[in-house]
Amino acid sequence: MDEWYGYTGKILRVDLSKNKIIIDDLKREWAKLYIGGLGFAAKIMWDEQVPLIDPLSPDNLLIATAGPMTGTLAPGSGNIFWAFKSPQTNFWGETRSGGKFGPFLKFSGFDMIIVKGKSEKPVYLYLEGGNAEIRNATHLWGMTVHQTTDTLKREVGAKDISIATIGPGGENLVKYASIMNDYDRAAGRSGGGTVMGSKKLKAIVAAGGYGVRVYDPEKFISLSYEAENAIISDPGNRAMGAHGTVGGLMGLNAMGGLPTQNFRTGYFDKARKISADYLENNYMIKRRACYSCTIGCSRYSYVAAGPFATPPNEGPEYETVDMSGAMPMIDNMEAIIRYNYMANNYGIDTITLGHTISWAIEAYEMGMITEKETGGIKLKWGDAETFLTLVDMIAYRKGFGNLLAEGSYWAAKKIGKGSEDLVNHVKGLEFPAHDPRVESKFLAIQYSVGPRGACHEHPIYPSYDMMGVDSGLRDVGLPWPLPDRLEEVGVNRGKAYRVIALYGEVINSLGYCNFYAATNETGSLSPKRLAALYSSLTGFNLTPLQIFEAGERSWNLKRAFNLREGLEKSHDKLPKRMEIPILSGPAKGLKVEKPNELLEEAYEGFGWDKETGYIKEETLKKLGLDDVADYLRKINKLK
Amino acid sequence: MVKMLMAIPDRCTGCGRCEEACSFEHFNIIDPSLSAIHVVRLENEPLDAPTFCIECGLCAMPGVCPENAIYRDPNTYAVIIDRNKCDGCTNCIVVCPYGVITLDHIEKKAVKCDLCGGDPQCVKACPEGALAYLEANDAAYYKRYFFAELQKKGMVPIVPYPSPRTREAI
Repeated sequence: MDEWYGYTGKILRVDLSKNKIIIDDLKREWAKLYIGGLGFAAKIMWDEQVPLIDPLSPDNLLIATAGPMTGTLAPGSGNIFWAFKSPQTNFWGETRSGGKFGPFLKFSGFDMIIVKGKSEKPVYLYLEGGNAEIRNATHLWGMTVHQTTDTLKREVGAKDISIATIGPGGENLVKYASIMNDYDRAAGRSGGGTVMGSKKLKAIVAAGGYGVRVYDPEKFISLSYEAENAIISDPGNRAMGAHGTVGGLMGLNAMGGLPTQNFRTGYFDKARKISADYLENNYMIKRRACYSCTIGCSRYSYVAAGPFATPPNEGPEYETVDMSGAMPMIDNMEAIIRYNYMANNYGIDTITLGHTISWAIEAYEMGMITEKETGGIKLKWGDAETFLTLVDMIAYRKGFGNLLAEGSYWAAKKIGKGSEDLVNHVKGLEFPAHDPRVESKFLAIQYSVGPRGACHEHPIYPSYDMMGVDSGLRDVGLPWPLPDRLEEVGVNRGKAYRVIALYGEVINSLGYCNFYAATNETGSLSPKRLAALYSSLTGFNLTPLQIFEAGERSWNLKRAFNLREGLEKSHDKLPKRMEIPILSGPAKGLKVEKPNELLEEAYEGFGWDKETGYIKEETLKKLGLDDVADYLRKINKLK
Repeated sequence: MVKMLMAIPDRCTGCGRCEEACSFEHFNIIDPSLSAIHVVRLENEPLDAPTFCIECGLCAMPGVCPENAIYRDPNTYAVIIDRNKCDGCTNCIVVCPYGVITLDHIEKKAVKCDLCGGDPQCVKACPEGALAYLEANDAAYYKRYFFAELQKKGMVPIVPYPSPRTREAI
């Protein structure tokens, strides 16, 4: 059997320094070992990335990859994943986006693009029907995301295409620039746009012309429809579709877990004005969905007039609403919609951007940042105009914006005076809008050990104890029932988190969206469904446990990558604020009681060394990663 | 009773599952450019619209297809292009008022909705209920609404009447 099903079987390698393109065949044995998506990316990054380089040097690899399920009728499979060494953390960087770029990458004939080198002048990539070319993008440099997309669409002409591009944020090397696709879909976190900008790669155009083949059409289509019907009849998924990610905002606020005032508290008294209801009743026009999605959580909204007038665009999402709403205490939905539009159009991560400005406001209030640094700008909570002015300044690195464009972690290092303690980050990546003190202690573990730093979605949204669901994970060894969300150690947390994290790795390797893994077994892509869909699509027969083993491989590869880049246990530490009780609100007094014990339990769950966080040799040997073990032994990072 | 494919565009989220299902049904591969249904999305306006053949039969008129490859199926009332006879001359594409007949990029022959022999796959694949295969008489009810939509007047900003400029002109 030499034909590829599900996979296209092709990898596009681009060397921008040499202006050269090579089309490689995918190795068949990789499919079973690493599945695809971020699994392949982890393998490539481990094998080919030069260790300890500057993330913005030409040597850094930028990988765009779609999973085997992407571009098929499997529900929720329309995703694109990017991997690189992150300029924000100097460790593993990965980010995901929906829209239709992932599917169109497959429809253009590639599973994966690996970009290295640096072009002298701006260029963009054009992919069609299994071919690729590097084209001049001098005329596009300086354009915003929307302008670039519009211009490229006009140039390509009468074709349905999908475009991923960076905006001025990426061009100006704002440290947390995002890669945007299909206008408003963002692969935001860990600075992928910055890496793309450093390579002078403005955009990638996927123009289709290839068809994804299916191994067992009848079985695959019946499984897809079965999954689709189960997913859309689940009440949790319906609520996600109807109210979007922001639908959970009022609930989190009621339990005191809505990050407010730079994580000082978890309760925002004006939350109603930034809630899903308020958005839907006043500014939302319609719902939108990513390619092949059966949930459709995206909002499409606008502001008709006034100081924050904004043309119709996708969003805002919950993260954006919190980071530009509760965090800087802005109770103005119009300003939030405007902020979302600006940040997306500039191609900047809305989470780190809002978080960094909120940090600056707090540091200013406490006298660590003064008007000398801000250039006369007065920072205060709830000031929407100044907030949006700063967004402009950051995108073009003007004045005070030049400092904030480094992100709160690096900016605090420059400023000093104790402002480092106000930064909520792990490994340099700022917290998203989920508070591990309140929501779930799984979140505390994930923020600590997550390969890209503090993140609520990579590898997965882990608060299964808060939601009281299992997504069918009991089949693959999730201890049940789960502990209470606030219990920390001695309750099998490490063992449970291992299964949850590997589920995320699997989802990201297959090419699915995490929102299909957040309800009970019938309503989500349970391990059984994943295995059945994958086997009927590709013809490689894998059981749920085999798929999870592949997930464990990529999880450990990412850990090994980070160890090679100099990771120590100290990098897995939660910031100081997590050990300070929440000041006010329903969750007053809650904190992470035993961060170190939690971390050690997680290490043990993964088969890592408790004292150092290094991977144990037996763990790697069991997964067949002997070469990784050999390398880590050489640099004294194996236990 | 004969049925008809209808769209309720308000419900469409633009997920494109109909495109995937259509190309899969007819070509056994998933490639939206081979689909007979296309979701048109305007990025700067609130529109995701599934566009597909309404089986008007213009392309089946005498003199359009030189190979006489286009006929109306007596059971589903769908207008069918016999791809064995099609030579890719694009005449049918010229007469189609809605741009829903296309040339495939593999065989360079015309692709057009055939209602999947009376079991449209796009309807099955739509998670939003934005596509429906309705009895003709029910479909007619909705068709009148679409017809009425065409006659709708655009909203204009409220201005004093007669406006100052009009008064000057008078």
